[in-house]
Amino acid sequence: MAISATAGRWRRGNSRAGLMFLLPSLLIILVFVVYPIVQSLWMSLNDWSMFQVVHRFLGLANYVELLHDRRFWNALANTVVFTVVTVPVQIAIGLLLAIRLMRSSWWTVFLRSVFFFPVISSFATMAIVWRFLLSADVGPTAAWMRSLGIAPIDALHTPNLALPAIILVSLWKNVGFTMVILLAALQDVPESLNEAAVLDGAGAWGRFIHVTLPSLRQALLFASVIAVIVSLQVFDQVYVMTRGGPLFRTETLVTYMYEQGFAEYRSGYAAAIAWVLFILIMLLSVLQLRIFRYRDVD
Amino acid sequence: MKSNTLLAALAASTALVIGLAGHAWAAPVTLTYWSGFTGGDKQAYEDLIKKFNSTHTDIQVDYQEQPWDSIAQKLPTAIISGSGPDLATPDYNVATLQQYVANGLALPLDLIGTGQNQVAPGVLPQTVVDSFSVDGKLYAAPANFATLLLYYNKDLLKAAGIAAPPKTMTELQDDAVKLSNGQGQYGIALADNATIQMWPVLIWADGGDLISNKCSALADPKTVGTVEKWASLIRDKKISPVGSTGQDADNLFAAGKAAFEINGPWAAGQYRAAKINFDVAPVPVGASGKPVTLASTVPTIVSSKTAHPKEAQEFLAWWLSKETQAQLSNSAGYAPSRTDMATDPAITGNPTVAAFTAQVGNSRLYLPTEKDFSKIDTGIFIPAIQSAEQNGNAADALKSASDQLNSLLGCQ
Repeated sequence: MAISATAGRWRRGNSRAGLMFLLPSLLIILVFVVYPIVQSLWMSLNDWSMFQVVHRFLGLANYVELLHDRRFWNALANTVVFTVVTVPVQIAIGLLLAIRLMRSSWWTVFLRSVFFFPVISSFATMAIVWRFLLSADVGPTAAWMRSLGIAPIDALHTPNLALPAIILVSLWKNVGFTMVILLAALQDVPESLNEAAVLDGAGAWGRFIHVTLPSLRQALLFASVIAVIVSLQVFDQVYVMTRGGPLFRTETLVTYMYEQGFAEYRSGYAAAIAWVLFILIMLLSVLQLRIFRYRDVD
Repeated sequence: MKSNTLLAALAASTALVIGLAGHAWAAPVTLTYWSGFTGGDKQAYEDLIKKFNSTHTDIQVDYQEQPWDSIAQKLPTAIISGSGPDLATPDYNVATLQQYVANGLALPLDLIGTGQNQVAPGVLPQTVVDSFSVDGKLYAAPANFATLLLYYNKDLLKAAGIAAPPKTMTELQDDAVKLSNGQGQYGIALADNATIQMWPVLIWADGGDLISNKCSALADPKTVGTVEKWASLIRDKKISPVGSTGQDADNLFAAGKAAFEINGPWAAGQYRAAKINFDVAPVPVGASGKPVTLASTVPTIVSSKTAHPKEAQEFLAWWLSKETQAQLSNSAGYAPSRTDMATDPAITGNPTVAAFTAQVGNSRLYLPTEKDFSKIDTGIFIPAIQSAEQNGNAADALKSASDQLNSLLGCQ
């Protein structure tokens, strides 16, 4: 009994100490994460404007308006197309690079750095550079094409090519991140598994399908969840390179949200768009966890 | 009694001395000023603020530049919460001022008159007074005033055998076709988005408009005719790239790959730096027969939460003084914000400034009081122009845009 009481006091003391250690982080999360999320939900239910102190309660009117807003549906469609194309291609190229650059030598280390460099650079700055590179009039690509007798393509100003151009630049920027995640996971695959598969008569493709890929499950899950979230939130490159044009062909949920919030000053409506995006990200993340059969033991 | 008188005199003189000393030692009032001028004209504004601070002991201005996007995101809430500046340029789109006024964030200027420390609306361009006023009260002073002119590359014109810049829109179109070679050289750099507005100038020149009598004029035959003509020249004769931003157009002219561009005084510096042999001419006259160009001005407001409204307006009065305006014009190339300086030697002595100033009377602001400016510009007008350029369906695109605009404006 005495031992049990002492253990209880010890546990309570430990719990209190643990809570005290957690408190600073909890406070930061509450103030900078939880509160803005709750506040944005409240904003989305009001005719919220940055110019006013008192805001008219609208209930779900902002969400109903979204249902009839053609620009919103266009932005959603562009965002989905961007994500559906970007994520698988990014994972595939990242995996291919990781496999090719798995062995350590000065050359592969150099190439890893080259592919990772865009990840650490500012996207806004890189988008300015790419805009110049892709310019059909003053860019070096145009000059090079003309010197070969080929008419330059004005991709960023052509409705059917602007989104593919943005996708290409986004892949260039983000593929290094996927490569590094998968590279680390590849290096953790036990050699004994491969040796056992060889003894069982598995070829290179069989080893890749039955040994490498299953061993990369957690890394692939992480890389794809992050890639989906980043893709659904695409903004910088669009804002700098096309501003959503031409003819709204590259307008995404976040660029439209930005315009509603800071050009038309409709913070409530922008918050409603943010919540649609939040729910979309949440649903897709849950779906990915289910597909990859993520369990607590992982 | 005598001692009482002596004591009273002593007390009075002490109070006087303390009062005088207090006045002499009073700390100057510091006004915070948020401005979005971070481009090529930045130095001109900074120099003027330095001059103000060095010539005023009672008022000092803490001038803080930040990007326009940043001001748009912060200024309204900063003013409401009382942590905002005393003075600010809310946006380069004049129409945004209406939001600040409607929500009580901008103070009406009440030190109005012709005195040294008063803002004098009578000397400002009428278009500025009209756009900055609500219910007869003036809510802002112009931080600058610019008009647009036709920039032309003298070398390209000479090479094409064109002796002088065009005087009519028909001549401009003919010259633009002649100067376009389909190999990367364009007759004109005509931007349609993220730019100082060029298309409205073309439309106005032919007698068309975006809004007339508070309803859409986009489907007006004159507007449609102008857009159809220019869009077909862009599509078929490649006189300009399609869908250019202002930056694209500037780059093209600065690279010597466009012969003409309609632009403001701020562009001259970069073209000189790029060693382009250029000059400026009035925007050619269109079918309306009347000269017209775009005016551009940025309002400076006094925050409704300022503790120093009098000093803030004193600063604005100083800003609009002839001496200050002459310095701003000569350093940044703007036309003065006053209409009584056209013959001032400080203006006429600088041919470029004089050319921009000469167009003040012909200039119009773009949608200056439309509260739905962004919806009309970005959501309706620009897509219609881009559709006409890309698909060659000016009439349909403008009809559809006109229906949207009428719906927004509450017109049948």
